[in-house]
Amino acid sequence: MTSIISNLNKIFDSRIRLGIMSILSVNEFADFNTMKDLLEITDGNLASHLKALENIDYIQSKKQFIGRKPNTKYEITELGRNSFKEHLNALEKLVN
Amino acid sequence: MNTQAEDIKVIREMMEKSSKFLSLSGLSGVMAGITAIAGAAFAYFYLLRDPSLTGYNHWQETGILLADALTVLLISIGFGIYFSRKKAKKHKQKLLNSVTKRAMYNLAIPLITGGIFSLVFLWRGDIELVAASTLIFYGLALVNASKYTLDEIHYLGITEIVLGLLAAVFLHNGIWFWTAGFGFCHIFYGLAMYYKYDVEK
Repeated sequence: MTSIISNLNKIFDSRIRLGIMSILSVNEFADFNTMKDLLEITDGNLASHLKALENIDYIQSKKQFIGRKPNTKYEITELGRNSFKEHLNALEKLVN
Repeated sequence: MNTQAEDIKVIREMMEKSSKFLSLSGLSGVMAGITAIAGAAFAYFYLLRDPSLTGYNHWQETGILLADALTVLLISIGFGIYFSRKKAKKHKQKLLNSVTKRAMYNLAIPLITGGIFSLVFLWRGDIELVAASTLIFYGLALVNASKYTLDEIHYLGITEIVLGLLAAVFLHNGIWFWTAGFGFCHIFYGLAMYYKYDVEK
């Protein structure tokens, strides 16, 4: 028996994680500072949510250097994209 | 169920904010339009209406037209940056981010191509084709960049392309199409965008 509630992904209970997934689903990649500006949150807060999403393979990161500054780029994985899509469908069903 | 509706709102907003340059202000369009009309009026009354009044040779005339066009361009860009920076500041956003850069890059390719192409016409003495080529390439640049900004830019671009093609057909009336495209269309779309996005409701 599957209720619609069960299709909502617990991982996305946090608005910040929803925000991160939204950004990465419409951009090929986004770096740390871009997401920080968009979401208007602190470094530590963003880093912990990114870590959580990376640990379950919803997103992946790539470290690189721009000049001498280290810069971390993030992109969504196939698994992340599908999970996010399912979550969106579940949300829409609940609202309609 | 309110939290779910709120979630969807957050998702939509983040998708749009992260992929589109939304700080573009309608007022920059209005000012660009006014500047273009002033520039066209100068060119028309000072040079084109009756060339015998001034007695400039071809190269002097070309130089003055070029200086006139460049002045219009620089003033328009200046107003564009000024109003967009103001709007970005109001929404606590940075003006220069990865989306703005992407939009600029996509705008620049057809725009610079068209600029050089029009200079070739000027250099060859085909002044009449300049109105058509600037309008067409400007329109293509807008359509190309519109993926990364407000939807109205797409339709403004299409309008400019159509006016450019008409200017190529009605070759001797180029300046009127140019004034309509760079002047009145900018003002019209600028006002529409201003009232749609910038006026607090």
